[in-house]
Amino acid sequence: MEINIKKITIFCLALSFSSLALAVEVNEDPLERKMLDIAEKLRCTVCQNQPVAESNSGLAKDMRDLITEKLKQGRNEEEIMQFFVDRYGDYVLLEPPQSGNGAMLWVFPPLLLLLAMLAAIFMMKSRSEKQTTTPPPALSEADKERIRRARAVDSGEENKSGDVH
Amino acid sequence: MMGKVWWAIIPVLIILFALLGYGLTSNPKHIPSPLIGKTFPVLEGTDLNGNVVSLGVIDGKPTIVNVWASWCAACRSEHNVLLRGVRRYGDSISLVAINYKDELPNAKVWLQQLGDPYLWSFHDLSGRVGLELGVYGVPETFFVNKQGIIVEKISAPLTDEQFAAGVELMSK
Repeated sequence: MEINIKKITIFCLALSFSSLALAVEVNEDPLERKMLDIAEKLRCTVCQNQPVAESNSGLAKDMRDLITEKLKQGRNEEEIMQFFVDRYGDYVLLEPPQSGNGAMLWVFPPLLLLLAMLAAIFMMKSRSEKQTTTPPPALSEADKERIRRARAVDSGEENKSGDVH
Repeated sequence: MMGKVWWAIIPVLIILFALLGYGLTSNPKHIPSPLIGKTFPVLEGTDLNGNVVSLGVIDGKPTIVNVWASWCAACRSEHNVLLRGVRRYGDSISLVAINYKDELPNAKVWLQQLGDPYLWSFHDLSGRVGLELGVYGVPETFFVNKQGIIVEKISAPLTDEQFAAGVELMSK
């Protein structure tokens, strides 16, 4: 029994060390992280709507290799993005630029929303104005006559009920 | 009051529908190249026979640079257009190629079987020259005028009409 416990202890100790060794191995390459950060923002030009970081296409792989190479040469993210924009156009950016033609994409939707809201406010205002300011149509002679008759009947009935009291 | 509001909304709607119509009817795969109007970069390398070659304006003539590969099916149909084009315009233009991510023996056999319209084919095994030129895939064709300016880039198999139109654009 005693030997068994010893064995188990040694086994457990060994196991704990092995996990330590594994933890060291998982350490990621900072250059690769940086490369993926850039590749995440670039469109894989042959697959329409997938970032270069996720695509398995040959072109996307070439682009990732080129990003890594340029990072090793000491180029920064902005320079690398510009390299691709110069050759593939703004299309290569997954997020459209906020200047030039791309500005329209950023400005138009909020502008449209604002316009729609203004239109709605105007409409509601004009509707409520109509309700409060337009006088009701004048009563015709026939209507007035009916009202008079109704009132006469009313007062007659009131008098009757007064009699009962 | 209501009338005024409508007069403000209707033009916006018209513009919106016009843009939508344009977007829906245009080809999403046609992306204008930012390289048009720029100078074709001078790039050195080797051709399929190992000779040193340099991309750019060739022999002082307007130059067509066609990107092809033996593994590209569309290039096969385009090849006849290039052969015809060279027969017709060969005196006034130069036609060279970039052989893109291709194995040398395959590329050579391909040209032997189908005919070789090119002065030479720049061997771009890694695809790096392709990236340098903003190439999406094959086939792709650059039209470069005498001054070395890219006047047109077609990212699809060329037609005879496109070839002729490209030649006209280059000689302007």
